[in-house]
Amino acid sequence: MSSNNVISTGAAEPRSGEIPSRTAEDSQLCHPERSGEAAESKDLPAAAPESEDHRKTGVSDEVAVEFDHVTKTYTLYKNDKGRLMGVFGIKKPGWYLGTVNANNDLSFKIRRGEAVAFLGRNGAGKSTALKMITGVVHPTEGEVKVGGRVSALLELTAGFDMKLTGRENIGLRGQIMGLSNEEIAELEPKVIEFADLGLYIDQPMRTYSSGMKSRLGFGFAVSTDPEILVVDEALSVGDKAFQQKCVRRIREIMLDEDVTVLFVSHSSGTVKEFCSRGIVLDHGTQVFDGPIEEAIAYYEENF
Amino acid sequence: MLSTLSDILRDNWEWRHQIGRLSIFELVKKSRGAVLSWGWFFIKPAMYVFCFWFALEMGLRQGASSASGAPYILWLCAGIVPWFFMQDMINTGTDVLHRYPYLVNKIKFPISSISTIYATATMIVQLMLMVVLFLIYFLCGQPLDIYLLQVPVLLLIMFVFWDMVSIAFSELSAVSKDVANLIQALSTPVFWLSGVIFNVTAINIPWIQAILNFNPVTFFVTSFRAAFYEKAWVWENPGLCIGFAVVFVATLLFMMFVYKRLNKEVPDVL
Repeated sequence: MSSNNVISTGAAEPRSGEIPSRTAEDSQLCHPERSGEAAESKDLPAAAPESEDHRKTGVSDEVAVEFDHVTKTYTLYKNDKGRLMGVFGIKKPGWYLGTVNANNDLSFKIRRGEAVAFLGRNGAGKSTALKMITGVVHPTEGEVKVGGRVSALLELTAGFDMKLTGRENIGLRGQIMGLSNEEIAELEPKVIEFADLGLYIDQPMRTYSSGMKSRLGFGFAVSTDPEILVVDEALSVGDKAFQQKCVRRIREIMLDEDVTVLFVSHSSGTVKEFCSRGIVLDHGTQVFDGPIEEAIAYYEENF
Repeated sequence: MLSTLSDILRDNWEWRHQIGRLSIFELVKKSRGAVLSWGWFFIKPAMYVFCFWFALEMGLRQGASSASGAPYILWLCAGIVPWFFMQDMINTGTDVLHRYPYLVNKIKFPISSISTIYATATMIVQLMLMVVLFLIYFLCGQPLDIYLLQVPVLLLIMFVFWDMVSIAFSELSAVSKDVANLIQALSTPVFWLSGVIFNVTAINIPWIQAILNFNPVTFFVTSFRAAFYEKAWVWENPGLCIGFAVVFVATLLFMMFVYKRLNKEVPDVL
């Protein structure tokens, strides 16, 4: 607090011409009480406008994900022919069916280190919102700002090249993320150890079972030291032992590292365990944003 | 419109390392599981060349008379080697998003760069074939001369032009199967009508000449032959150059139009 105080007065100095009188006043006011805790609380309101600006640069208050009036509109056509015509601006009534807003004017900020759950029925727009955070889907209107490396556990079996081996896929994904060769070499054993595929790691991925694919997908997603972890129904894959391993690893990531977690699940138990804040969506619109218990209560009451 | 172009250029520049590495992966994937692995990149073109050489030179006795005394096989190769690049770009490049669905909607990756990955991979093969072409060229006793300077420039233009074609048509193919089928159906006619295995300048019908001036395949084939065989400069055939310039600009505008309309929509529909 004391250092904060120094900075704030320092910031005030160049702005006002009455520096001597102000510092004098400050010292007069504060000196008798400086040793006590009360001094700090009294200091706060006076220095508030300046000190707030300084605190924003602090790690915990950094915004990891920001949605600024984001709307995602899907344009629907009866068939591909209609869509092709739509590209050239021709909207024939029978072929053009209209639009659906998967996300409607969403605005929220998620700070670094927060764990947020998205709740809502099927088709409420949860996955669309998460996909926009991962950057694979672009908003129609508004802006999605993401600060940090995103690792997504969306459809674990996807995102791999089935013709390449598991090991090659790790390299491929690492390279797409822009990692250096050394970083990939460091990453590889971690993923292999987590996925635990044995000899299959050097077999083409098309020979994998779906469980093996998701193990590799999960292993990759959690081994890349994510700054923002997006989990979408991913924990329902694999056998019980593997599920427990996943939950353990997610908990580890959340405890040890300064990681933001975004969670979509229909199981209130898992959500409660991981998250501190809940956002409830209904038909693409945000209807509730608050502490997780209240969000779950709201969700279970209304839907 | 210009911001669309700068978007495409910036994406491709920022992701250039990934593009380079992924194009190597593309080649690894192609040669995967074959005993001769990389050899297949040469064997298939060699078979092609042999068949056409045999059919045309031996069978039909259509070998073009040479001004510089170079054999017909050099004339044939100078046209058919660039065709191998264009053939791949027409057949696969125009529908490349279906080849990499996971890069479109599972991983964050700029869509225009997917075309560049494929164009780069195909260009690497093309460069290997060019080395072979130069070997044939020198084995035929041809000199190292200034006309050969056109070759790297033509390769660069060819890369950029077909990358643009690929960006435009792969996005259209992603939303409509018709486009993919149409382009692939056109591949064979384009081969036979563009003068890859015959000399288009020998056609003495003016209106056909005029139309062929607007055919990019004819432009590249004729230009490479000018450099390797006829020992002429590209601009000595102004009609062809103007025709190609028009097609180049039209393709550029078409690509920007399609990209602007579809770039954000493609991940939703693929």
